Parts: sequence; C-alpha cells; structure tokens
Amino acid sequence: MHQCRLILWNIVLVYENINDSTKSLSLCLRLFYRYRDLAPQLVPLDYRGRPAVTLPYGLIASMPELKDNPFRQRIAEVFSERGDGNMTLDDFLDMFSVLSEMAPRDLKAYYAFKIYDFNNDDYICKSDLEKTVNKLTRNELTPEEVSLACDKVIYEADVDNDGKLSLEDFQHMILRAPDFLSTFHIRI
Amino acid sequence: MGRGGATEAAREVGAAGRRGHAAPGGLSGPAAPRTELLRWQWREVQAPCLVAAWILVASLAKIVFHLSRKVTSIVPESCLLILLGLGLGGIVLAVAKKAEYQLEPNMFFLFLLPPIVLDSGYFMPSRLFFDNIGAILTYAVVGTLWNSFATGTALWGLHRAGLMDPGVEAGLMDFLLFGSLISAVDPVAVLAVFEEVHVNETLFIIVFGESLLNDAVTVVLYKVFNSFVELGPAHIHATDYPLHLFLSSFFLVSLGGTAVGLLFAFLLALITRFTKRVRIIEPLFVFLLAYVAYLAAEMVSLSAILAVTFCGICCKKYVEANISQKSRTTVKYTMKTLASSSETIIFMFLGISAVDTSKWTWDTALVLGTLFFILLFRAVGVVLQTYVLNRFRLIPLDRIDQVVMSYGGLRGAVAFALVILLDREKVKAKDYFVATTIVVVFFTVIVQGLTIKPLVTWLKVKRSDHHKPTLNEELHEHAFDHILAAVEDIVGHHGYHYWRDKWEQFDKKYLSQLLMRKSAYRLRDEIWDVYYKLNIRDAISFVDQGGHVHSAAKLALPSMPSRTSMSESSVTNLLRESGSGACLDLQVIDTVRSRRDKEDAAMHHVLRGSLYKPRRRYKASYSRHFISPDKQERQDKEIFRQNMKRRLETFKSTKHNVCSSKSKARLKEKGRKKASPSQAPALFLALRFGLPRDAVSEEEESDSSETEKEDDEGIVFVARATDEVLQGKTAPGSLDVCPSPCIIPPSPTLAEKELPWKGDQADLAVYVSSETTKIVPVDMQKAWNQSISSLESIASPPGTESGPQHRRFACPVLEEQPQSASQVMPEQSSCFQFPSHVSKSGRSQSDSSPDGPEQQELQPLMATEEQGRMAPSVEPRWLMFNRASHL
Repeated sequence: MHQCRLILWNIVLVYENINDSTKSLSLCLRLFYRYRDLAPQLVPLDYRGRPAVTLPYGLIASMPELKDNPFRQRIAEVFSERGDGNMTLDDFLDMFSVLSEMAPRDLKAYYAFKIYDFNNDDYICKSDLEKTVNKLTRNELTPEEVSLACDKVIYEADVDNDGKLSLEDFQHMILRAPDFLSTFHIRI
Repeated sequence: MGRGGATEAAREVGAAGRRGHAAPGGLSGPAAPRTELLRWQWREVQAPCLVAAWILVASLAKIVFHLSRKVTSIVPESCLLILLGLGLGGIVLAVAKKAEYQLEPNMFFLFLLPPIVLDSGYFMPSRLFFDNIGAILTYAVVGTLWNSFATGTALWGLHRAGLMDPGVEAGLMDFLLFGSLISAVDPVAVLAVFEEVHVNETLFIIVFGESLLNDAVTVVLYKVFNSFVELGPAHIHATDYPLHLFLSSFFLVSLGGTAVGLLFAFLLALITRFTKRVRIIEPLFVFLLAYVAYLAAEMVSLSAILAVTFCGICCKKYVEANISQKSRTTVKYTMKTLASSSETIIFMFLGISAVDTSKWTWDTALVLGTLFFILLFRAVGVVLQTYVLNRFRLIPLDRIDQVVMSYGGLRGAVAFALVILLDREKVKAKDYFVATTIVVVFFTVIVQGLTIKPLVTWLKVKRSDHHKPTLNEELHEHAFDHILAAVEDIVGHHGYHYWRDKWEQFDKKYLSQLLMRKSAYRLRDEIWDVYYKLNIRDAISFVDQGGHVHSAAKLALPSMPSRTSMSESSVTNLLRESGSGACLDLQVIDTVRSRRDKEDAAMHHVLRGSLYKPRRRYKASYSRHFISPDKQERQDKEIFRQNMKRRLETFKSTKHNVCSSKSKARLKEKGRKKASPSQAPALFLALRFGLPRDAVSEEEESDSSETEKEDDEGIVFVARATDEVLQGKTAPGSLDVCPSPCIIPPSPTLAEKELPWKGDQADLAVYVSSETTKIVPVDMQKAWNQSISSLESIASPPGTESGPQHRRFACPVLEEQPQSASQVMPEQSSCFQFPSHVSKSGRSQSDSSPDGPEQQELQPLMATEEQGRMAPSVEPRWLMFNRASHL
C-alpha cells in the first residue's frame, strides 16, 4: 500500500499536467506497473529524478503474445521518441493516450499514418504500402500481386495525383469512412 | 421447441392427419366400379395445391404492389400483405361462411420461420454483429426480461383495478405469460420494415440482432409461465421454481441452441470441403444442414432460432470459400427467395387469420392497455439500458437512435403463433389474448411500419451508405486490428482486440486448415480477395459496356453528370489549392457535352481493341449448363492478367510518349499521310502529351463555333493547362521517388475517389472521350493504336523507377523538337504572351497547314518551360471564364 502511494506520488510529481482524463491517475498507475513488470530490473520504483530508463525493443519483441503480430516493431518505433523502438515511460503512456477514446481524430490519423510510413519520408509511397501488404498477408502473395494491389490502393486514395499518399490524402480517405477511425482505439 | 402447448400441437397434427386420411378415403369409393379417362382428383392434390395457390397469390400480389413505385415507397410491403390477407380472408369468410385458413403455429415454426432466420444469419455482417454483441445481448436479454415482466405486471394491475371486462379470467401468471409472448421483438417484422428504412448499420444490427437473440429468453419465459399456468395458481409457491432453476434453464436453452448451431456449422463446413466432384449438390447441403440444426434444436427444446442464426453466421466464411462460385450464387438466390416467400406468406396469413372472429374476444381496456404498456416499457427499457451501455460504448447511441430503437420494436408472427399455441382449457382468457395480440401485431406492423420512415427522415437519422468496400478500407482495417492488438499486448490489457486477434490466429492455424480446401485457403486472404473482387467487377462492367456498345454509351453518359456533381461537391479545399480540381471539373463537363453517336463509334473501337476478350468467352460459357471450376478459375485469372496488362499499357503509353521524340516524329508523319480533316492531329498529339482534357475542351469550343472571343480563350486555355499539367508533374517532383500514375487518367481520379470500384470504368470513359472524341476518324484511331504498340516495342518495359528519369528528359527534347520542325514557332511563343492575339494566328495556322495544330500543342509546352511563371498569373480568369462558358 505504501509502495503504491509512493509510486502514485511519483507519477503525480512527474506529470503535473495530468488532469486531462486520458491520463487519469489510476490508469497511469496501471500502465506504470505494467511498464515496470516488463523489466523490473531496469525500471526503478522511484521516478522522481526522471531516470533515463528505456525499455529495450528486444523485451517488447520477445513477448509471446506479440510473436505473430506483424506490426510490433513498427509500433515500437513510431511511438518511441528516438525512433529506435526503445521506449521510455513517456512513450509508453503516449502510446496509450493516442489510442484512447479521448484522443482527437486527427491525432489518431497522424499516428496511423506514421505507422504506415515505414521510411519516414512523410509520404506513404508504394514501397511503404508493399511492406504493409506483405506484413498483412504474411508474404503469401507474389511481388507483382502486391505491387498491383498497392497501385490500386494508391489509385483509390490519391487525391492530388502525386502517386503517393500524403497525410492529407490519408486523412481525406479516413474521414470518408465515418466509423473508420472509431475502430482505432483501445478501451480499458 | 416444446413451446408448451403440446396438446395443441398434437391437435394440429391430428387435424392435418385427418385431412390427409380423408383424401384416400374419398378416392377409394368412386374409383372402384367404372374406368374413366379423366378423373377429378382434387382431394389428392388439395393440400399442396392450396399451398401453391397461396404462394402464387402472394407473389402475384407482390408484383402488383411493386407496379407502383409510389405506393411501395410509402407503405411497407408487410402492411400491404397484411391488408391483402385481410381482404382475402374476408372473401373466404363471405364465400365459405367460416374462416378456413389461418396461420398454424406448426407450419409457422417448422416451415416458415427457418428460411428467414437462416437467411438473416447467413448474410449477417458478422463483424458488425460481433462488434456490437454486448449491446445486442443486453437489449435481447435484459430488455426482453424487463419488457415481459413489466408488461405482465402492469396488465395484471390494470385487471386488479377493475378496469377490464370481468370476462377476462386471468391471474398474475396468465398476464406474465401473455407479457412474455407479447414483449419479444419479432425478427420477421423488424427485418421487413427496417429493410426499407435503411437506417445506419449499427442501429439496424442492434435492433435486428436483439430480435434474433431474444428468442432464447422468450422461449424460456414462455415455457416457465406456461408450466405455472398449467399447474394452476393454487399450486404455485415461490419455491417451486426457484430463480436458479430459471437461470440455468435460460443458459441451457440459449447456450445449448448456440452450441447446436456451432456444431452443425462445423459439420457443414467440413462436408463442403469434400464436394469437389459433386458441385451440384453443394447448395443442398447448406440448406439441409441448417434446417437439421433447426429441427435438432427444436427437438431438444433449445432455442432453434439461435441455432440457425449461429449456424449461418459461423459456417459462412468456410462454406463460401469451399463451394464454387455458381453454388454461391445459387445459395444466395435460393435463400433470398425462400426467405422472401416465407415472409410474404407469413404476413398474408396474419391478415387472413385476423378475420377469424370466432377466436376473438375483444376487450378495449386490455387492448389499449397492452398497446400503451408495450410502447411505454419499450421506451423506458431502451433509455435505461442505453444509459448504462453508453458508458461502455465508444460511439454512444444518441437520443435519436434511442427513439428509433424504441419505436422499431415491432411485434409479429412469433407472438401470434405463440398465442395461438396457448391451451384454452388452462388459459381462460386465451380469446382475449388472441384478439389483443392481433391488434398489437397489426398496430406495430401497420402503424409503426408506416410511420417509421417519415420519422427517420424527420429525425434525420443517419442513413446507411451502401458503398462497396474499397481496398483501402480493407487494408487499413486489417492493419488497425493488428496494431491495436499489438498495443493491447504491450500494455498487457486483454481487451476486445486481444481476443479477436487470438481468435483469428486460432482460426488461421487450425480451423481454416481443417475446414477449408487447400486451394481455397490462399485465395481466402481477405485483402487479396477484395482486390480480386474489385478487379472482376471492373472487368465485368467493362465487358458489359463492350458487349452492348449502344447501351454502353447511354449508360456511360448519364453517369457523367452525376460524377460531375460529385466531384464538385467533394472538391475539398485541398484540391482547390492544388489547382488540379478545376481541370477535373472541366474535363468531366466536356465529356458530358460530347456527342453520343460519335462516342458510340469511338467506344466501339476502343473496346474492339480492348483487352477483355476472355471475359466475353467466359460470359458465353456461363450460359452453358456446367463448366468445370478449374476452367472458370483459369478464366478469372486470365481476365485479371488482362486487366493488369491494360493498366501497364496505359501507364506506359501515357508516360512514354511524353518523352520519346521518335514516336512523335512518326506520329507527325502519319498525321500528314492520313491528312485527316481539321485538327485531328492536334488533338492526337495533345492527347499523347497527356493533356487530353484541354485539347478536347478546345475542340469543343471550336466545334460549337462560338464567338471569336471564346476561341481565343480556348487557345490560351491550352497554354494555361499545359502549364498546369507540367506543374502538377514537377511540383511534387522534388520527391519523385515513386512513379506517378497520375498522368494515366488525369481526371478520373476524383471520380474514382468517389466511386472507387469504378476504377477502370472511369478510365475507360476518359479514354473514350479524350482519345477519339468526335473528330478522330477510324484510321487515325488505328494509327494511334499502332503507334502505341510500336512505342511499347521501342521503349523498354518500364521498371517503375525509370519513370522519373524519362520525364526529366522530356523537357529538353520537347524544346528542341519544334525548333527543328518549323519556324512558325517563335511567333507563336509570342502569341502565347498575348492571349487575345493568339487565336487568330493560331486558328489560321491550324486551318492552313496540318502542322499548325501540332505546333499549337507543342508550343505551349515549350513556352511554359521557358516562361513558366507567365501562365499562373493569367490562370484564374481563364479558368473562371471557361467554366462559365461550359456551365
């Protein structure tokens, strides 16, 4: 009990602007526990000094539940601040708040876009899409099938005709399907 | 199902049996002594003949209803059928002096209900259903319980208060029994009305799912109360039937029914895996096993509706993958036909049954009280449950949804059949209940069914939009599922996505392996599936147009204005900024204005050289009795390949002629040789330079021979547009990593955005309009095709990366070409700067020499290269003007 209070207090200290409901306290606490459970030897209970602790990507990748998930690395990369897949507590909380119900649509769209944008050039271009399709189909398609499918995807969504999807294209497409982004959330 | 009234059921069966026996008995008498050539054997065929006659009458009536679009758009078909039934029942009553026909519960539960439930289960959007399963279950279980108890108790209170006729001899148990049967929302009625209202999917699935799943609750309640009533009020003690027994019975009935459904779904999937040699009986298995599931559940008095629903939901994925395309179509149509005819008969017989006044006893207080309480408690229940549910829903059900949900709680034939099943000996007030049920059913189906449509319109309930799945949606849906599951895993939260992900993995690893053919397994990949479907659909529409050239043009043309409006309405700020939006509009308008007959011819030529011939073969063989699935698959593949090839070709041609000077020279030659009238070569070249719309628009204008001034604008406009096109190409070109297919069909992309499945059709339309419009004669057309093919042979098959390089080359080449060709060029370039001047010189040039138009088209390209910044300043005005003139 005492330990719990301590942690809570720590977190309050660290995140002063915690009043928005996406990072409500109990949730924060749970997430912190989870974060710590992933690597108890690395993460200290005392967070007051803002220790520069990161959760190495290897730990996340080694989780048995994630073994089959095609996007595990990409998620870790996108949400980690430095893009290397190693997550700090901040990143961890961010990931959750983006996917919470309260997060605005645009933010969600932005992160979804980032996840697709494998080469970080701010466009979803064909190679990105090919990667996505390959991941989703577990490499069961031949290269030209994938390439054709990607062409079609771009063709469908490319408003400004530049052969790749910009963030605007992506948002436009997503807004067209009203309950599209609503699926992009996690409920605790 | 053992819906209590075993004795009644036995009587029904007995009656049927007696009737059956009567026939041979009647026959044997007169048959013995004489031989006759013809004999009147009505009695032998009576029963099936009557059934057939009723179905025929109902179906003919349906045709009559649908003769008038106006009537059916206002009045739901179920209302009309009930009214028709009333009329027919009245006639029968008047002729036979007694009501002969009515909806018999046995017939209803054994024959009429299963097809409807199977149809709804099989075609249930399973993802939507399972996404909302929490809400559906809540409404189905809690809502139905609440409704029946509240209604029963309130009616009993009304009775105790002495407001009812003293002839109504009923205790609390009787009223609770009545409440249980009257409070369940009816799937048949809901489906019939909501299908015509088109509310959004979520709302529909909640109401409809509730109506399907509440069956278990209804069955249990009905059974329990019926047994109480049969025991008699004196013997009931609270301990006789304790709560836990009720609960366990409820779980047994619902989960047992579901389990039976799942079991048969599994069997069905497994069986269809091995039907490769006997394709023809595939559909039979679907119907047979589903029906056996229904009967099996009914036999052990589990919820049969749940069994069939879940059988349908669960088997669909595997069955669809296993059976052949033809069987799929057969299953679909047969199911729809059966369900629709069942529904028709049910509603008609509801009407006919109502005429039978011998079973009625009217009591105003009971009827009005029931109506009032039903509506009230439904509304209260919905509001309360929604309040709770909304705390857990991402998209809350708002007030309007709640209104529609409470108002959409229709009662139907299930309630009627159940009330007929009551035992008159035990339930003294049966006649009152029958009358009340009939009134309630009629009220909900007719009054609420009639008013729900205006209500939905008035409340501006979000309607469903029937858009076909785009590849994007499919792709992102999958990706999101994975992403969310991953995040839930990382965070260690076992939520909805976690379980779905687990289920999908299990399905992929074990179930699909077990239940699907090896060949079907790979194809099943959903993204690929959608893509495949899109392509096939494109191909079919393409060939449909090719097959009937004349109708094709007529079909294509009306679609253009709609596309115009769509693109205009949806042109976002984004588009306006990029500037290409304006062009898109123009192009579309031009297409609209093109002349039909010529377009017909043009279409014909495009299609004759088009690449979908295999499809035609495919269609022809479709009419044959049987084709081997392998062949069909091969043909599908062929079509697909053709589609691919065509795409590549269009891509190549548009891309490469921009840059290859060689082909242009040849083209020019050809243009001279053919010496085609007017500006054909110009159009030609313009097209090949990727500015079809402007060329066409110019043609338009010169064709329609409007004022001089407009001609001027036309030419200047070309310059502007070229510039624009180039801009479009070069502006984002800084990041020109991937090839831009944008040149292929410059305009339809927007239309496609709106109608994504129309991809190739739109493509086609543009090609028709731009390539060949009006002026280009047939031989030119051929030349064009030839040049394209030669081009392809020249140009190395372009790897996608080679695109940008070529394009970068394009400008210098273009610059040099015209200079070597003629000296007219400098003049014209100056013309470009002074728009008003251009037209005359340009026009005269074009008239005098065949080269002129080419120059006209080439020159702006070059000019824009040199003085690229000129045009934009001029642009807006011309743009506006041009628009105005077209609109």
